[in-house]
Amino acid sequence: MAHYPEPVARLIEALQRLPGIGPKTAQRLTFFLLKRPAEEVRELSEALVAVKDRIVYCQTCFNVTDEDPCRICRDPGRDARLICVVEEPNDLLAMERTGEFRGRYHVLLGALSPLDGIGPEDLKVRELLARLDAGAGTAEVILATNPNVEGEATALYLAKLLRPLGVKVTRIARGLPVGGDLEYADQVTLSKALEGRREIS
Amino acid sequence: MALGKSAAVVIGSFPLGESDRVVTFFSRQHGKVRGVARAARRIKSKFGGALELLTLGELIFFDTGRSDLVRVDHFDVLRPFDRVREDLERLGQAAWMAECVGRLTAERDPNVAVYGLLLRGLKSLEAGVPPQRVAVVFGVRLVDALGHRLRVDACVGCGRRDAFGGAPLTMDVEAGGLVCAACASAVPGLLRLQSGSVAALRRLRGQAWDEAVGTQLGGAEGELRQLLDRQVALLIGQPTRTSRFVREMERFSGERG
Ligand SMILES: [Zn+2]
Ligand SMILES: [Zn+2]
Repeated sequence: MAHYPEPVARLIEALQRLPGIGPKTAQRLTFFLLKRPAEEVRELSEALVAVKDRIVYCQTCFNVTDEDPCRICRDPGRDARLICVVEEPNDLLAMERTGEFRGRYHVLLGALSPLDGIGPEDLKVRELLARLDAGAGTAEVILATNPNVEGEATALYLAKLLRPLGVKVTRIARGLPVGGDLEYADQVTLSKALEGRREIS
Repeated sequence: MALGKSAAVVIGSFPLGESDRVVTFFSRQHGKVRGVARAARRIKSKFGGALELLTLGELIFFDTGRSDLVRVDHFDVLRPFDRVREDLERLGQAAWMAECVGRLTAERDPNVAVYGLLLRGLKSLEAGVPPQRVAVVFGVRLVDALGHRLRVDACVGCGRRDAFGGAPLTMDVEAGGLVCAACASAVPGLLRLQSGSVAALRRLRGQAWDEAVGTQLGGAEGELRQLLDRQVALLIGQPTRTSRFVREMERFSGERG
């Protein structure tokens, strides 16, 4: 890429590090931005910096938030005895869109993945155990990880880990098609999956 | 540009863009094939759950000739191997087998022996054979099939055949086999193996698959698994990711009682 002026090469390089963006897309985006008004580009760059400066992970549930603890963890109207475990903040949002769930969440920030070498230590598993150990009187942990190999393995693992603690562990229904991402599930499908959750034994 | 068709096992995948997936297959006819499955992450994808790791299916792909990646047109499940995925130990060892095949083979280099091994391994895991034993039987055969057999008949340093008196023995994976005590002293950090493990390795090479997975390995199992890990790490230039996963699962579970 030596033939590009340095700032152009630098932006292409930076964009390429984003997931799902290859060299060609990075080039296209860069030249698109070059054609836009300066004001619009400044707005984008400020938004990028702001998200990093102002957004943190809630130290209780690990959702993304601009205040810690997050709104859901602070809301006294939500049932603290119910914890819904999801992989990513996007899955939490999908769950919230159903309007069915009135408990709290725990975001793992990933899923177990043998081929990526991702084990329990790389996820917020320890933090989940600490929450349960803290004795907030958790009545049920709902495992809402994705219906794919990684999500099922994570659910299997957590069920095994949590059962000795005497807490009821349920898995959202298998009605969700295998292989899809939870965040793409429509609200009705997700509501039904939540409603049809079953205890894992 | 060509249409390809073959029975194949899913040995890896990662998300691409908004909703696509890049899937790696090991196929009977074409060896390792990587392709893009469009919209595979959508909830109503035509692929359904077919592209999940370790699934055996009938792959139909279109090779545009413009990229290393083919276009995955169809993948119809022949055998899902879901019982392998429903147990973490089985899944861990099966994923290790898949990673070894994926990393030790080149693209579009057909190898029916390797394909057959992978299927036999998955079938044994599904049938309930202890997962680590399956991985060892598989691994020993895989490195042989790919031409990386370690020598255990003579010292690879000096060639002496009568130099292996007492246990334990020393394996120099980099040099390609056992080394005698004199040759071993020159190289630090070599793997020590009980003579029983070397005997088990010899025996495994001569046994039919069913006989091999039907025989307990005792203490040799862990040692041979470690040996295979070292050898594969050397061949691919780094430790496998799945080994890290398997180790961490064991450690974390142990820690919690
Ligand atoms: Zn929170
Ligand atoms: Zn020697």
